[in-house]
Amino acid sequence: MKKDKAKTKKTLVAEEEILEIPEDEIWTYQIDGLAAPKINASYKDKKLGKVLFVLFIIFAIAVSMFFSVRALLNTGTLEYKEIEGKAGEYELIQFSNNGSITEFRVEGAASLNYDAEDAGMLLGEAQTNNDVVSYDKSKKVTKIHEYAFNCDGTLQVIRIGADVTDIDAKSFYSCWALQCIYVDKNNPNYCDIDGVLYNKDMTEIICYPIDHDRYLRLKNGYAHLDENGVQVSDLVDDDGKEMEELWGTTKKYDEKYFEEYNLKVRTYVLPSTVEKIGPLCFNYANLRYVYLPEGLKEIGTLGFFDAGNINAIYSYKTDKVNTETAYSPDMFQTVYPSLPEGLEKIGSDCFTKDRGLTYMYIPSSVKYIGHHAFWDAVYKEDGELHGISQMNVAVDEATFEKGEIGSSWLPKYDYMLFKKNIDVNYSAERVQMPQ
Amino acid sequence: MEEKQKSSLIDKTKWLFNEIKTHWNTPAEGKYVPYKEYLDIWLAVGSNYSGTKVLEYISFAAGCYLIMFHYNLPYVAFSAIALINMPLQKLWDLLAWIINDNLGFLPKKKERTLYSIYFFSIILGIFLMAFNFKPYLNPNNAVVAALNSIRGVSAASAIKMLGTHILWNGWAGARNIFWRKKLVPKFGRYKYFLYCDIVPKCIMVILIGWLPVYNIQDVVTRVWVANALFALYNLFGYNNCLETCTQNISPNMQERILVRTYPLKLSHILNSVMVLVIPMAIGFLKDEWADINVYKYVIPIIFISFAILTMVFSNRIKERIPQPPIEEKVQISFWDGIFGVMRNKYKWMLNIVGLLDSLGNGMLAFTTVVYLYTFRLSGLSYGLLISLVSFAGTPPDFFTPYFIKRFSYKQVMIFYYLSRAIGYGIVVAAIILCGDNVTLCGIICVIMLILMETTHTIPMAIHHDMEIRVNDYQMYLSGERLESFSGIFGWFTSPITTLIGLIIPILLLKFGFNSNWDVLFVDASRVKIIVIPILFDIAGYLLMTIPYFFWDYDSAKQNKVIQVLKRRAEVTEKLAAEQNESAEGSFVG
Repeated sequence: MKKDKAKTKKTLVAEEEILEIPEDEIWTYQIDGLAAPKINASYKDKKLGKVLFVLFIIFAIAVSMFFSVRALLNTGTLEYKEIEGKAGEYELIQFSNNGSITEFRVEGAASLNYDAEDAGMLLGEAQTNNDVVSYDKSKKVTKIHEYAFNCDGTLQVIRIGADVTDIDAKSFYSCWALQCIYVDKNNPNYCDIDGVLYNKDMTEIICYPIDHDRYLRLKNGYAHLDENGVQVSDLVDDDGKEMEELWGTTKKYDEKYFEEYNLKVRTYVLPSTVEKIGPLCFNYANLRYVYLPEGLKEIGTLGFFDAGNINAIYSYKTDKVNTETAYSPDMFQTVYPSLPEGLEKIGSDCFTKDRGLTYMYIPSSVKYIGHHAFWDAVYKEDGELHGISQMNVAVDEATFEKGEIGSSWLPKYDYMLFKKNIDVNYSAERVQMPQ
Repeated sequence: MEEKQKSSLIDKTKWLFNEIKTHWNTPAEGKYVPYKEYLDIWLAVGSNYSGTKVLEYISFAAGCYLIMFHYNLPYVAFSAIALINMPLQKLWDLLAWIINDNLGFLPKKKERTLYSIYFFSIILGIFLMAFNFKPYLNPNNAVVAALNSIRGVSAASAIKMLGTHILWNGWAGARNIFWRKKLVPKFGRYKYFLYCDIVPKCIMVILIGWLPVYNIQDVVTRVWVANALFALYNLFGYNNCLETCTQNISPNMQERILVRTYPLKLSHILNSVMVLVIPMAIGFLKDEWADINVYKYVIPIIFISFAILTMVFSNRIKERIPQPPIEEKVQISFWDGIFGVMRNKYKWMLNIVGLLDSLGNGMLAFTTVVYLYTFRLSGLSYGLLISLVSFAGTPPDFFTPYFIKRFSYKQVMIFYYLSRAIGYGIVVAAIILCGDNVTLCGIICVIMLILMETTHTIPMAIHHDMEIRVNDYQMYLSGERLESFSGIFGWFTSPITTLIGLIIPILLLKFGFNSNWDVLFVDASRVKIIVIPILFDIAGYLLMTIPYFFWDYDSAKQNKVIQVLKRRAEVTEKLAAEQNESAEGSFVG
C-alpha cells in the first residue's frame, strides 16, 4: 500500500508535448486552452474602446491632480455627528486645524469658510485666523469624542459651552499648544479653574493643558503681549537673546529667581476636593512640583505620562476646602513627600518616562497598580542610576502581593545586555519632608 | 540503514561535483546556463544590487538626508514640484511605452515624429528655464499669488521647474530611441543602458556632493537649481537590471528557478555586508551623517567601485528569451500595446489580486507596534527577536525548486493567502482574548509570525517566476513582452488603491493615531489600532484567493508557449539568413 502511495507521488513537471507549428502559422498558431495570438492586427473596429481609454486617461489625470492638490492644501476639517435618539444634539468627532485657528468654541456645530484671499493660509502660511470658523447655534454640541483634538499644534484656547455634558478624557490628547480650557459657568457637568478642566464638583481633574505653563508665564509677568497680541517672552539668555522658558540658573537668573519661577509657573496644587486624576490628565505637562490632596483615591492611566520635568510629588492635608491651585507656602496644614495616604489605584503607564522623579513611596492604601506604571522612570548614566532608583512600599511583600499588581510595574534599567528591575524596599518608612 | 543513507549522500555529492565539473563551461542537455555563469551571476548581481542600494542614499526627496540637511529644501516644495510635473507625465509615459516595447526600433515615420516631439521639447524646456518671466507675472493673479506663497517656490521658479521637466523628458526620450537602437541588439533589453549611462552616472554622483548648490542663499533659487541638478542625475540609469536579466536567463523553467534560488539569493549577501560597512565608514567622519564628506567621498567611492565591478561581470550574463532577430521583430503600435496587454487575462488576475491587497494599505507595521508597545522590548532582546523572525524565512527558500516541481502555482498561492488569513486571525484572537497576559499573548504572536515568515519566501519566489511566465505568454499573444504597456494597469488601479488606502489611516485617526506614536501606550487604543487594520488585511487575503481559483496557466501551457516562441525565432532567423539580413538580437534556444 505504501509502495503505491510512493508511486503516485508525482511531480508537476509536465511531460513536454511537442507541437508541430507550420512555418506560415508562427504568428497565428493557437495553443489549446489559451487565447489566440493577435499580432499586428487592426484595431479600427475598437472605436468605443479607444474613446473609453481616452476618457479614462483624462479621468486618471484629474484624480491624480485632485489628490495632489488635496495633499498640498491644508483646509482643515470639522466633523460632527448627530447623537442617536437626541434630535438636534451633536457630538464633535474631529477637529482638524488648518494651521491658523488658535481659539475654538465647542457650542454650536462649526464650519470652516474660506475665500480667495485665504490661499496663502491654506498653503501653510502660519498666521492666526479664527475668523474662518463660523458657528451654527441651532446645532447644539453636547458631546466631545475621544481624540477629537488629537495632535493639534496650533490651538491655544478651547471654550466649552453650557450644553456640553460629555467629554471623553482622551479628547485633548497631544494638543501641544493648548494653554487653557474654559468652561461656561452654566455648564452642569464641568467647570474650569483658571483654564484647567474639572468635573463640576471638582472631585476629578480631567485635563491640565500641555502648554498651560505658557499661559502662567504671561499671567505671572514673565512675558507680555505685543501690538499684534502675540506673546513675547521677557526672559533673556546670557547673550541677551529672548528665551521662551527658564530651564535652570544663568548669570542673570540665580537659584532664588529660578525657584520662584518654578513655584509660580511650574507648580500645580490640586484642590483638596479632588479624588481622581483622570486618564492622560497631566501627560507632557511642564511641571516641576505637584501637590496632591490627601483624599485622592485614583490616578488614571497615563495620568502623569512623559511629564519628565516633574522633580517631586508632594501630598498635603488641610482642615478647610482648598480650591486655590497656585502655590503659596501657608496653604497646607501638613505636607509630606510622594503619593498621598488613602490612594487606592495607580493606572497603567501612570508615571512612564518620568525620569525627573527621584523618590517614590507607595502608601499602604494602594490596592491596584497597572502594568508598566513606572516604565522608563529610571536610567543609567556613568554607571549610576538616575530617576526612581528604588521603590519604597509601605507594606510588607506578602501583603503587597495580595493587591492587583500589573506586569512590569517597576522601572527597569539597562543591565548587561538586558533590563533589570530596580530594588524594592518593602515595609519602608516614608522619608521626612525636606526643609 | 544509516550506512545506506551515508552512501547515498556521498553519491549525491560526487554526482554534484561531476555535474558542475562537466558542465562548467557548457550547459547540460536541455539547459542553457553553464555553471561558470552561476559564479558570474553571484558576483555581477551582488555588485549591481549593492551599487543600487548605495544610490538609495541620494534622492530628490524629503526622506534624503543630503536634501533635507545639506540642501535644506522646504518639505512643501516637493509636493509643489510633483504637482507641476504631474499633468504632462502621463503623456511622456505613453510615448516612452511605444519606444520601450519596440526596443527602440520604430518605423521611420514614427521615429521622425517622436524625435521631432522630443527636440521641440528640448528647445521649449531650455527657453522656459533660461527666460526670466518674473517681470511679466502679475503678483495679484490668484495662481501667481498662490505659487508665490509656497515656501521655496515662486511663480517664476515654477516655470523654470516646468521647463526642467519638459527639457528632461525631451532629452530622455531622444536618448531612449538612440541608445536602444544602438545597444539592445548587442546587450539585450534589460542591461543595455548600463553601457551608455555608467560613466555619466558616476560623474553625477560625484557632482551631487561637490557642486556647491547647497550654498545658494536664496531658497527659491536653491530649490529650482537642485531640482535641475537631480533631474540630470536621474537622466542616467543604474538599477538592479542584472537581476532582471537572470530572471530571464533561460527558457527552461526549472533552471530559471534554480538560478533564482541559489546564485541570486547568495548574491544579496554582499549588500548585507555593505549595510554594516557604510555606517561604519560614515562613523569615522567628524560629523557622521551631517558631514558633507559622506556625499563627497564615501558614497562616490563605494558606488564607483561597485559600478566598475558591475561592468566587469555584466557582459558575462546573458538574457535568453526566445525571440526573432531585431530586424524581424513585430512592430507594436500604440493600440497594439494597449489592447495587447488587456487581452492578457493573467495580467488582469494579478492586478485584481494587487488591488485586493491594497485593503491593508495604510496599516502600521504591526510587529513593531507589538514588540515596542505591548512587550516593551528594546536592545538585545528586540534585536534577537527581529533577527529570529526574519531569518525564519531564509532556509525554506532553498527548497523552492522542490516545491515548484511538487505543487502548482494555483495551489501554492491559495495556500499562501489562506495561511496569512489564518495566521493573522490567530494573532487577532490572541490580542483580544489574552491581551492582558503579555507572556502568553507574546508567545502566540511570535510563533505565528515565525510560521508566517517560513511560509512566505517560497510562494513569493514562485510568484515572481510566474510574473516572468506571464510575460512569456504576453510575447506569445502580442509578439512582444509589453512590459511597459503593462503600466496601464497601474493607471486603472491607482485611483482605487489611493482611495482604499485612505480608509485605514482615517480609521486610525479616529482611534487616536496621528503624528504622536505615544498613543500606542493607551491599551484600548492600541488594540483598536492594531486589530482593525489586520481585520481588513485578513479580508483582503481571503478575497485574494478567489482569482487564483480561476488560474489555469500551468507548466504544460508554459512549455507550449516557449515552443511557439522558439519556433518563431527559428523561422524568422532562417528568413533573415535567406534574405542576407542581420540576425542580431535573436535567440532560438
